[in-house]
Amino acid sequence: MNRIVQIAIRDFLAVVMTKGFIIGLLIMPAFLAVSIIVFPRFIDGGSFQVEGEYAVVDPTGAVFPEMDALLDPRTISEQRIEEFRQRLDQAPEFLRGVAGTALEQAMIEELGLAPNVRLLQRPADTDVEAEKAWLNEASDGLRHTALIVVHENAVEAAGSDPGFGSYDLFVAPNLDDRDLSFIHTTIRDAIINARVSRQSLDRDALESVLRVARPSSVTVRPDAEQDTMPGLNFMLPMAFVILLFMGLMTGSGTMLTSMIEEKSSRVVEILLSAVSPMELMAGKLLGSVAVSLVAMGLYLGIGLIALSSLSLFGLLDPRLIVYLMIFFLIAFFVVGSLFLAIGASVNELSEAQQLQMPVMLLVLSPMLLWPLVSRDPNSTLAVVLSFLPPVNPFFMLMRMASTQPPPLWQVWLSIAVGAASVAVAVWVAAKVFRIGLLMYGKPPNFRTLLRWVRQA
Amino acid sequence: MATDAAIRLKGVTKAFGKMQAVDSLDLEVPVGGLYGFIGPNGAGKTTSIRMIMSILFPDSGEVAVLGQASALDAKDRIGYLPEERGLYRKMKVRPFLRYMARLKGLHGSDLDRRIAGWLARVGLAGIESKRCDELSKGMSQKVQFVSAVIHEPDLLILDEPFSGLDPVSMRVLRDLILAEHARGTTILFSTHVMPQAEEICEHVIMIHKGRKVLDESVPAIRNRFDPRAIQFEPLDPGADTGALTSIPDVEGVTDGERGLEVLLRDGTDPVAVMRSVMDAVPAARVELSRPRLEDVFIGLVTDSASGEDAQHLRAELQDAEHSGTPQ
Repeated sequence: MNRIVQIAIRDFLAVVMTKGFIIGLLIMPAFLAVSIIVFPRFIDGGSFQVEGEYAVVDPTGAVFPEMDALLDPRTISEQRIEEFRQRLDQAPEFLRGVAGTALEQAMIEELGLAPNVRLLQRPADTDVEAEKAWLNEASDGLRHTALIVVHENAVEAAGSDPGFGSYDLFVAPNLDDRDLSFIHTTIRDAIINARVSRQSLDRDALESVLRVARPSSVTVRPDAEQDTMPGLNFMLPMAFVILLFMGLMTGSGTMLTSMIEEKSSRVVEILLSAVSPMELMAGKLLGSVAVSLVAMGLYLGIGLIALSSLSLFGLLDPRLIVYLMIFFLIAFFVVGSLFLAIGASVNELSEAQQLQMPVMLLVLSPMLLWPLVSRDPNSTLAVVLSFLPPVNPFFMLMRMASTQPPPLWQVWLSIAVGAASVAVAVWVAAKVFRIGLLMYGKPPNFRTLLRWVRQA
Repeated sequence: MATDAAIRLKGVTKAFGKMQAVDSLDLEVPVGGLYGFIGPNGAGKTTSIRMIMSILFPDSGEVAVLGQASALDAKDRIGYLPEERGLYRKMKVRPFLRYMARLKGLHGSDLDRRIAGWLARVGLAGIESKRCDELSKGMSQKVQFVSAVIHEPDLLILDEPFSGLDPVSMRVLRDLILAEHARGTTILFSTHVMPQAEEICEHVIMIHKGRKVLDESVPAIRNRFDPRAIQFEPLDPGADTGALTSIPDVEGVTDGERGLEVLLRDGTDPVAVMRSVMDAVPAARVELSRPRLEDVFIGLVTDSASGEDAQHLRAELQDAEHSGTPQ
């Protein structure tokens, strides 16, 4: 036992005391932080500007003037200020402070540049087929972006058909989605305005009739109340799976590389002069489980701090963390011992990669199946997967963190299945490990590995 | 004797697939013995040693080490220097040796003193805080040797300890092995370089293709395989040596590697013949031929020492001797 502990301590320190490990450990949360906090700032920077010339064929004669009015710079400016006000109400404090001093600049940052669009009216009897060529004509000024053909009955229902017509839209190649969406919105607004005035209605009055404000709901707990966080129930299972995955990979990945290093530097047989292969394997597993626990502890800590800073701490059932640890240990000893066996049987990292691939795919499968299981955590698929080693820890945890947790007996059955799979995985890995350790030369394929399992 | 064996193998057999690595090997190394385990590359030495160390397990047969059924039960009393050996590249020498010593059950505050003492003995004083990848090959080998003996084992098993060493380091290592032996340690070392075994061992076990072909003490081998010949080098290289054949008790004269080989009839006194030889032709050198392990080995494993097999084997052994490293 003492030897196992010695090996575990050395392996643990050899990993944890390196700069690479510390950087690697912090890079993941740092990357997440950057992508959540910093990227959106850059993306919302609003350097995009809607631009172009739109050719309009309007047989109704009512839509073009409305579009023209909507695209009038003064109207645009008024609308943008209105929109900006609305956004400002939801915006963070610091942005509100900015608003007073540099309104225009803040608005551009928030809404992007004002559109720069020119409308060209075409006669009602224009040959649409011939006009399409205009879209691909080169232009000195604004690009020819859209050809809009308003239907004759777009504003007033014609004949026996009580419904309104719409419009056809032809656009230039490589048009940005934001351009397209701007065009659609503008025409839609123009047609609605034309219809409303044709029927002598008041659009503002109509809209206020149709508008019902949607309040944010309040989640009521025995001890506290707070605004409901939409999507959180959906995200929580995923967060647990990611936590499990990152913890698992940190320890087992470093274990694989250290095993290969020991083998390729021929230090392994020196170690075998002092310990048995099983002691070596046990020590390595213990050392890297400790490495994993450091990583998991850090990530879990960051997660809990994040939750409590959003005062969402109450969302998390502390028992889930205990189960996370149980399932982590199961997953680690299954996947880790397979990785160790792979590490012991190859000579260098590149050879390990092809043997590692099937294990990696299995471990990644929960990420791919997450939406299916998360939406319907008690479907047959989800139930079966949560008992199927080696992925059962992932899926059971996902189900437990979902809104419809499984009954307790299922959880413990999955744990029992997991414990049995640990026994099998360690047994198989031990056989491959013992033989693989001293094998140099051609890397084994799966058939060879199976033969080792049988013969050892 | 039987109860005194430090290592005992009985009918040990091991195959890898179709390859019979070790074939019903019986072997016994008494406590305090200094045994050489010799044979060409691929003879089964390393496999046998790994079975002694319980790193591999025999398909059949029994292994007993220091009175235990498995070396695992006596690991703290065994020092083992494997043929495939290396160091943790990024670890420093002192932590590495400390780690190895702890794995072998050593603890306490005098560990560092012991490490420093051993490093001084192998001529590497003061390298404790060097990283292992900064060491030369010879230095690494010495550190590895220290890791095998730091716990002062009762039994020391060395697999090809001299491979890759320069002559000076070889001598240092030889003296260390002899010193360990003088301390009372039982030593078994394997080599495919026969002169090394001749120089150091008390007793030799030869194996070839997994089978034991010889298991005798060095004096007994000298006696049994006495070539009954005198090596003779005339003072004048051009001298007529025809007179030698007319000496009674001389069976014949052949060209040897260094000068002439004067073969003696059975039952003659070599000393008397040497005098007659010197009388017949002025001599630069007259020397009684001693059996060389290489010749003994080749004689044992091939039917006639002049056959094609023998020449092939001899070439292989000499090649190995020059390169000094296993292929």
